[in-house]
Amino acid sequence: MNLKHPFWQGVLVLVLAYVVIKWGIGYLLPMIGVPSAPVPSTVVTQYMLTVLVGVLLYMSAESDRWAAFKAPMVRTMVDPGRRALRGILLVGLPLLVGWVAYQGVKPSFGAPATLRSIHPAPPNSITFRGATMELAGLENPLRHSGDMEAHLAVGNAVYTRNCVPCHGDLLDGQGHFASMLTPVPADFTNTGTIVQLTESYVFWRIAKGGPGLPNEGAPWNSAMPAWETILDENETWSVILFLYERTGSTPRTWEEEGAEGEAH
Amino acid sequence: MRSEFLKKVSVLVAAGAMAACGGGDSGGGDPGGDAGGGEAPAAAQVDPATVGTISGTINFAGDSPAPTAIDMSAEADCAAGYGPDGPMSNNVIAANGRLANVFVHLTGVSGGPAPSGSVQLDQENCRYMPHVLGVQVGQNIEITNSDDLLHNINASPTENRGFNISQPRAGITSNQSFPLAEVMVPVRCDVHGWMQAYIGVVDHPYFGVSGPDGSFTIPNVPAGTYTAEAWHEAYGAMSGSVTVTAGGTATLSFDYSSDMAGAHVPLGEPLVIRHGEHGIEVHRGAQD
Amino acid sequence: MRSGTLLKTIATFLLVGAAGLVAQENENGRVLYDRWCAECHGAEGLGDGSAAASMLPRPRTFSQARYQVRTTGSGQLPTDDDLMHVLNVGLPGTTMPGWPNLSDQQKRDVIEYIKSFSRFFAAGPAPEPLDFGSDPGGGPEALAAGAQAYLTLECEACHGAAGRGNGTSAPTLEDWRGFPIRAADLTEAWALNGGSSVNDIHTRVLTGLDGTPMPAAIDAMNSGVVSPDEVWQLAHYVASMGPRERPRLREVVRVERASEGLPQDGSDEAWGDIEAFFFPLAGQVIEVPRNFAPTVDGIWVEGVHDGSEMAFRVQWNDPSRSPDSEWDEWQAKILATMDLDGFEAPALDSTGAVTVRWPDAIRLQFPFEVPDGAERPYFLGGTTRQPVYLWTWSSNDGVGEGRGRGYGSVEPLPGELQGTAEWQDGRWTLYLRRPIAAGADGLTFSEGVPIPVAFSAWDGSSGETDKRAGVSSWYYVLLEQEPSNAVVVTPLIAILLTGAFGLVLVRRAQGRARA
Repeated sequence: MNLKHPFWQGVLVLVLAYVVIKWGIGYLLPMIGVPSAPVPSTVVTQYMLTVLVGVLLYMSAESDRWAAFKAPMVRTMVDPGRRALRGILLVGLPLLVGWVAYQGVKPSFGAPATLRSIHPAPPNSITFRGATMELAGLENPLRHSGDMEAHLAVGNAVYTRNCVPCHGDLLDGQGHFASMLTPVPADFTNTGTIVQLTESYVFWRIAKGGPGLPNEGAPWNSAMPAWETILDENETWSVILFLYERTGSTPRTWEEEGAEGEAH
Repeated sequence: MRSEFLKKVSVLVAAGAMAACGGGDSGGGDPGGDAGGGEAPAAAQVDPATVGTISGTINFAGDSPAPTAIDMSAEADCAAGYGPDGPMSNNVIAANGRLANVFVHLTGVSGGPAPSGSVQLDQENCRYMPHVLGVQVGQNIEITNSDDLLHNINASPTENRGFNISQPRAGITSNQSFPLAEVMVPVRCDVHGWMQAYIGVVDHPYFGVSGPDGSFTIPNVPAGTYTAEAWHEAYGAMSGSVTVTAGGTATLSFDYSSDMAGAHVPLGEPLVIRHGEHGIEVHRGAQD
Repeated sequence: MRSGTLLKTIATFLLVGAAGLVAQENENGRVLYDRWCAECHGAEGLGDGSAAASMLPRPRTFSQARYQVRTTGSGQLPTDDDLMHVLNVGLPGTTMPGWPNLSDQQKRDVIEYIKSFSRFFAAGPAPEPLDFGSDPGGGPEALAAGAQAYLTLECEACHGAAGRGNGTSAPTLEDWRGFPIRAADLTEAWALNGGSSVNDIHTRVLTGLDGTPMPAAIDAMNSGVVSPDEVWQLAHYVASMGPRERPRLREVVRVERASEGLPQDGSDEAWGDIEAFFFPLAGQVIEVPRNFAPTVDGIWVEGVHDGSEMAFRVQWNDPSRSPDSEWDEWQAKILATMDLDGFEAPALDSTGAVTVRWPDAIRLQFPFEVPDGAERPYFLGGTTRQPVYLWTWSSNDGVGEGRGRGYGSVEPLPGELQGTAEWQDGRWTLYLRRPIAAGADGLTFSEGVPIPVAFSAWDGSSGETDKRAGVSSWYYVLLEQEPSNAVVVTPLIAILLTGAFGLVLVRRAQGRARA
């Protein structure tokens, strides 16, 4: 196999693209700390078609390269010495296509793919226990008042009684009820959760829970309670302090949020 | 099938309402007295010229609690061992103005003759025989099963280490002892929630358990003045003073009454657990 | 002399240093304990942390050093390795997790600190593990002998004949502090707190679980009631009573198309050929009053249809056939000791007896229409705007259909759902049957389309009623379609077209080459 040959270069690009799209995005990115998820198979097909078209466009841009690119395929079709390979391909490729077609039409018993936005855009303001609360620019008031140790103690007690069953003692989303819930509870030790969010966002998620999600967040599936019925404002801010302290992380600031906003 | 637990709960929840666990005649067999006193301390080590005897009575005023039937329908073999009235609890026995199953021991004393021989704790027709017993520190307790079915013997002391062993057949014997004084060690059979016994562990031989007639005897007590303590699982503890003269018989009586139902019952290390925002309280051990 | 002095100095230095190191270790242990353990086990190790009352069984009280999972004899202290094992893997079936976030050294520090809550560790010699002998091996004969040992040791008194924790003594079990405690469901080995292997089970049988009603069988073995080999065989038998691992969650119940008739009831042999799907249930901890320790932790669902009618079999383990007066004491204990989160338990009567007995119940929840997109009603009982369609069953009222507008509310609907239920050996079997097409109000099930379904279960004898339930997320049922020709025809056409296209390409290329 000569990698300088356009044909094999094209094949190599396709194979590499497949590996990256199929496995790389879902598994490699988290290794370097970027949150990700496996790519659904329909999307893989779309991406691969795009790559294929790209390869063909590139190859046909110059007539020499195009001829060189086609040469091995043409040779396989005409060369008497490649009769056996030709036969295998003429039988094998249609069978492969048939198998793919069968996969498409055979009865499926898988769950339908459900896409949901993990961090949907928050509203500008919410009504918390009857009072309007502006979320934009809102800071955790407990960071600047009272005794931090006392706040954390309140947060710890609130967390243990209310949150542990699902989010777990280690805040890793592995509580004793976690494996029974679909979707699974958030893992606060994962850099894709609270670290990416401002405390006002976390306050909104806690106060309004699953039922308060916009439709793109699939509010009908989330088992997150609307905690405003159980926790008051002080308890909610305390447990937020606790989440960041216990995971050794810091919330996203409004400066970062603003910089991101302008960049977009 | 009513265990000690409901008594505790009902006291907490129904504020003093008595669970129907109390008293009554013993349905059969001797509820305690003699066996409960254990083997008397070896007389050989005692100089009769220096010791006397405490002879006492546990009086009981007020209405005696009604006898409590035990639902033994789950264990027909055990139920068959009782008369026409069926199985009755031998835990709280008050009749004719006397209270049985009171553990009486001298306090502020230690030492004395070492224990000789074993104390018997039998399981017979799904009841402990005796229901209340006393042993000396380190004395062997021979636990036997006279029923040809499963009992477990689950002792939960707080000063000593406990044990929980199974005896699935008649004739099995287990030997246990407690190295530290503890009044009282609760013993329970979890298979039969109604089976409960109490073991008083003291580091001297001066103790006794009142029989159905309310009487108890503590022999071979060196002459002197003592404080004695009485303990009952439902009516609590009280203390009294007694002076023993050489060769004499000192009398000692304790006056319990039905008003004392729900009294504080000391039991090993106090362990009160308050839980959650609703202040649920559980008091370990006997009725409190 | 000088070297002697030097040695002395070095020795003193080392001793002081070592003492400081020990103090430092305890300080590390204290900090770690306060951080990770105290909210459940209490700052003083009394098992009375802020969250303790929502847990069944309760967190350990360290002051008495009664540990369930040991390799030492009944009433003895655990070894450090025993404690380390629990910190490593946790206690399955309870709220105690393993602690992979702590290093081995940190775990040792925590162990030292936990031991310091009790005077017993300092008082006695280091505990020694028992000699457990060696496993003579499993196999059919061992299992038969083990089943006999199960009877000989009367394990069924608490665990029940089939091992589901429904023995006659189960309703009165309590731990050493008087809190209610369940006899383990041996058919769910994945939730045995001491582990699910034959070795684990053998150890638990011989050592007992201190602080619980589970006794040590070692005296019974030593007195010849069972032989050492028979105890091993018992362990093999118990391990064989159910799957070791929790069944894998598959999100879609495949409702097969029956070739000949639907099963007629829950015990019909035809169910044997139909695949069963397991769905775990979590406590309803979303709306007050919450249920942190549900009885029913999972249900099995099987379904089959014939194009016009469908039949389902739903099975779940529940040690009590509620309402049952034998479980009155259990119910009273649960309601008196658990954190009820605002649930108003009915008062006991003057003798301390319960005045209300609830039934067992189950609900299957569907949307009223097969959803077009992803949107569906709220999984927890629907809402006023988007109600859910319910199949209800309770041991008092049998089956019915209903409309739910929020969790706990059911407005009965007329419908053609029929069903019967039977409780045996700690397990309910519910048979349900309905035409695929709905009546006036209800869901018409389409074939070949995933239809959302969710489940709830209640154990009346544990005071489970209304919102105090076990619940599941949304899953799916899918009615298998009649085999269609498309399954054969489409791939054939694809093969023929591709083959023809290939031939044409080759012909043209060869023609061009010749030219």
